[in-house]
Amino acid sequence: MAELNDIANDFLKDEIEEFIERPEERTRIINAFARATPDMQEISAALIDGDNGTVDTLTRKALDEGIEALEVMDDGLIAGMSVVGVKFRENFIFVPEVLACARAMKAGMTHIEPILSASGIEPVGTVIMGTVKGDLHDIGKNLCIMMLRGAGFVVHDLGVDTSEDEFMDAVEEHEAPLLGMSALLTTTMPNMGKTIDAFIDNDMREEVKIMVGGASVTQEFADDMGADGTAEDAVGCVELAQRLLEELKQEQDG
Amino acid sequence: MKKIDKAAYQERLDRITAIFKDMMAHATEQARYRCPYKNRFDECTAQFGCRNQRKPRETGGLLMCGGDDKLDYRMAWETEEAPRERPDGGSKVARPDRGSITDGTTTRPLTAGRTVFDYADDLAVQVPTSCFRNGICHECIVEIQDGMEGLVPRTEAESFLRENYRLACQARVVDPDVDIAFSPLRRTPKILTVTEEKDTPLDPMVSRQGDVVFYDGEEVDEYRGHLYGLAIDLGTTTVVMDFVDLETGESVHLCSFENPQRFGGSDVMHRISYDGAYEGELWNAIINAVNHEIMDWCERTGTARQEIYEIVVAGNSTMRDLFFRLDVQSIGQKPYKSLIENEYLAGERETTALTIGTRRLGLRANPKARVYGMPIIASHVGGDVTADLATVELAAQPGVSMLVDVGTNTEVVVAGNGRVITASCPAGPAFEGGGIKYGMPGYEGAIETLKWEDGRFDWNTIGDNPPQGICGSGLIDLLAELRRHGMMAPKGVFSDRKQFEVSVVPESGITLSRQDASNLAQAKAANYCGQYIVLRAFGVAPGDVDRLFLAGGFANYVDVRNAIDIGFLAPVPEDRIVKVGNAAVQGAREILLSRSRRKELESLVKNIEHIELETTPDFFEVFVEACQFKPMPGVLV
Repeated sequence: MAELNDIANDFLKDEIEEFIERPEERTRIINAFARATPDMQEISAALIDGDNGTVDTLTRKALDEGIEALEVMDDGLIAGMSVVGVKFRENFIFVPEVLACARAMKAGMTHIEPILSASGIEPVGTVIMGTVKGDLHDIGKNLCIMMLRGAGFVVHDLGVDTSEDEFMDAVEEHEAPLLGMSALLTTTMPNMGKTIDAFIDNDMREEVKIMVGGASVTQEFADDMGADGTAEDAVGCVELAQRLLEELKQEQDG
Repeated sequence: MKKIDKAAYQERLDRITAIFKDMMAHATEQARYRCPYKNRFDECTAQFGCRNQRKPRETGGLLMCGGDDKLDYRMAWETEEAPRERPDGGSKVARPDRGSITDGTTTRPLTAGRTVFDYADDLAVQVPTSCFRNGICHECIVEIQDGMEGLVPRTEAESFLRENYRLACQARVVDPDVDIAFSPLRRTPKILTVTEEKDTPLDPMVSRQGDVVFYDGEEVDEYRGHLYGLAIDLGTTTVVMDFVDLETGESVHLCSFENPQRFGGSDVMHRISYDGAYEGELWNAIINAVNHEIMDWCERTGTARQEIYEIVVAGNSTMRDLFFRLDVQSIGQKPYKSLIENEYLAGERETTALTIGTRRLGLRANPKARVYGMPIIASHVGGDVTADLATVELAAQPGVSMLVDVGTNTEVVVAGNGRVITASCPAGPAFEGGGIKYGMPGYEGAIETLKWEDGRFDWNTIGDNPPQGICGSGLIDLLAELRRHGMMAPKGVFSDRKQFEVSVVPESGITLSRQDASNLAQAKAANYCGQYIVLRAFGVAPGDVDRLFLAGGFANYVDVRNAIDIGFLAPVPEDRIVKVGNAAVQGAREILLSRSRRKELESLVKNIEHIELETTPDFFEVFVEACQFKPMPGVLV
């Protein structure tokens, strides 16, 4: 059984002291950090702080020094993220902070990707994501991206107010089999349909599976505009992406 | 570079996904009441315009969010200009002969395809929502008093609703020829019983030393300028909230509203079975309503909700445990003991009081604030009675004293010579308007007093408004006057045996039917039985009672003489009857202000004897007698 003082990093100690209340969680998190090296603890601290620059530098450094990628994931990134999860659940931080932490995690994972491909591990799939033209609401889309990346997808985020051309260029450039579009407003929802039409006009529709989402998007809307599917939330988005990839594979094999 | 094993990597991904999934579930839940673009400093991270955006705290910083976490934050976002399309001919020229919709005060003509929510907007009726009217948040529940057949059948989103309750956003007009009457669930009762404040020595759980705020000795916050607490009387029908300054002991704001759980039934037994079928819906409704009041008060007074450090809840066993999101099923079946009472009886806990963090319940207060559930006594005799006992200090009274807390569930306590006996009587909501054709709670327009004079009824309404119905005190007057002037026999039959109803206010069509009289007789009988059986068990007659404290929402307005004449109250000499108004909320306030009173009460409730009325051998005979509109005998055998 590790004690709080077995953790070298002061920032982490303060975080645990202040935010982790449930005894069993406290024990689990203290144990996880206590067995991590000071360098790994520093990665966790930077991740919890949402500092993607520091996570980026420290992860690069650790891997260069020969530390194993799985150790970085376990003791640095995942350990830090589990604290973020508790802080969020207990309303100490909110969605914007969570997204900053997810971005920091992504900065670390970027350095692990080359090792994955060198080990013969292919990404689950590549997805292009963006909010459609005229729409600036991105929180739902950002949560989807966080979930997708967590599940092993490579995601290229085109941000908000994305034109049809930008979507098509990105799919072409990254040879992405999946495209996700989001729109919150009922007035911008038709732009998802227009983008799908543009893919058809440019003979690109066959190569890509298209998912659509947003608070007012229903299965009926998705069917009407010719999308391949929609999901209720970010968790559903991952399941949908996995299903569509499977379908695409079967179509191509067939 | 060492290669990575694929299975080991996948295992990491699964762990990340598991953490993220929990976060997504919380994000969805949180989005019901808080804008997801708002960060922990209440700054706006959105890239689009929003009406809630305010000047940044410092130049160059992010815009501040001026939103108050009201449930409709999405409405403030810059959204579409064009009106939404009406699926069925919203633009059609209105036919002159179509029906209309009313909220009871104003009326609008109907058009097919519009929702009740659209009309609520037109009629300026406030209906809460937090899901963009998509049938997700379940907050816009309305009662359709008339015209259900003119609306589309219940949608899938409404599958948790029964009887004539609908979601305003889903209930669309299909037949505009059918007149519709509706009301939202959170009507505000106009009767606010303000009880006099007692001099409770200030000794709250929450205290301050310099700039540091402590809860029971534990440091919880830096002083922000105030220490507030919140006392809640959580009634089955009505909820009263008292905001208290913990440093001065003063009440700073008092408000009340109808318990929005009404869609789950009007008495505790129905709520219990409802919660068994649709777990979490009732909890969601009450927490949202309480949060709404907190945010409303904070907004109006410029108070930060983080200045609320403790919430004390006084409610009957069912109301309290639903609030704490506990399983209430065992309260609904013999031996009617709650989860907490069973744990207490099994020696697993020291008290039936509950204390947890407000955040666990999603209450909007300081993140470290606690919510305290007043200890329950036994079975249905809950924390509201405990609160009453705190107010009237029954056990400390000389001689024999008695407390009757009148409500949907009436509770009776008799104390004296170190002995305390209690019972709970399931009266039902008849005296609060439930199941009575022209019955209503004590809102404006309710007839509150009534007298038979010169061959007609002379009446007064709350707020002197035109009469809409009769509230509890008016019903008691009406029954007593009908009896007194020979218009109704003790059994509730009108003197002309063929007469189906009596006219009360001919101009407004307000009547009392035999069915109404029969429902009131049963509600009254429950009150009678409780008092009769407890007094008898104690071995005293009504005349031996030295002090009768009468508590509860409408009890304060009751004419005691009339209540005794119809057998609603035991015939205790009138000068010994003290009306204490809403004793529960006052008791909750005292507990908020005094740690020692809290400890005292926790031990007091352990020594109270509880009688289960229905297991009394002659219960049925007593009940049959009790159903008659006549006084209780002076000697109880």
